Amino acid sequence: MIKFFNISSIFVWIEKLINFINSIFFILLLIAISIALIFSPADYLQGDSVRIMYVHVPAAWIALGSFSSLALLSFLNFIFKIKNLSLISKSIAPIGLMFTFLAIVTGSLWGRPTWGTFWVWDARITSMVILAFFYFLFILSHKLILDEEKANRISSLVAIIGFINVPIIKYSVDWWNTLHQPASIKITGSSTIHSSMMLPLLLMFSVLILYCALIFLMKYKTEIIRIKKKNLKRL
Amino acid sequence: MIKDLIYMNGYGIFVWLSFFITFVVCGVVYLKTYKTLKKYEKEFASEIQELSSERKKIILKKSRVASQALSSYKETI
Repeated sequence: MIKFFNISSIFVWIEKLINFINSIFFILLLIAISIALIFSPADYLQGDSVRIMYVHVPAAWIALGSFSSLALLSFLNFIFKIKNLSLISKSIAPIGLMFTFLAIVTGSLWGRPTWGTFWVWDARITSMVILAFFYFLFILSHKLILDEEKANRISSLVAIIGFINVPIIKYSVDWWNTLHQPASIKITGSSTIHSSMMLPLLLMFSVLILYCALIFLMKYKTEIIRIKKKNLKRL
Repeated sequence: MIKDLIYMNGYGIFVWLSFFITFVVCGVVYLKTYKTLKKYEKEFASEIQELSSERKKIILKKSRVASQALSSYKETI
């Protein structure tokens, strides 16, 4: 089991996984986009603007999921000091920042036809901007601090503190009066979204998750090579 | 049919722009990540190639990452 988590063992699997994802990605993407843009119905109230949901919601889910895993990995790294964990979190952070940015931009584009404005400083949107700020701090601490140990410590602290913001984002629509609608999909309890819209949403989410996995694997592989390159003289 | 798909009852600009931005950003990040990976693979492989044959042999035997990176780089060229 420990051997499985060894960087060298993982490295062999990365190439295979990248090839596998590449082989199915474009077919899935084509199916998901066709259903999201052509075959799914328009909303009775929001009309066709509801189709923005198929990129906005998965982007927001990924942004929150990435930060939660970043916080968990940072917490574990803070305690156990496992180098592999910091490599993984370093590879996840740029993906999370990108999807936070996409969630904000697509949300803004959705806001114009539904709320009549591109931007309001309401609780959900502001807390998403704060999330982007924490991602930015995490990445910046790795870029600016040259001592890797110190950079890991500070970035871990940023992720752990930033995690406080995750439940605030989730429950912001319930705690405050916001323009943003409450969650339609609930893990516990019944969802208020029709299956004809749920299918393209889950398909787009799967495609974007595959994309994340692809970017993560490439970034992780780059990080491993960077470390091995640095240690080449010691081998 | 195509006209309806493009205009989407006036919402087309917002819907298409959302999808366009998402896929352009994803495409740019993919290309940048791929290029960085290939750059590191190339640098790592050329550093291994520059070593004496004896040392190269030892490193390739000792490090699976080195041998895998070298073969992956050779495949791309």
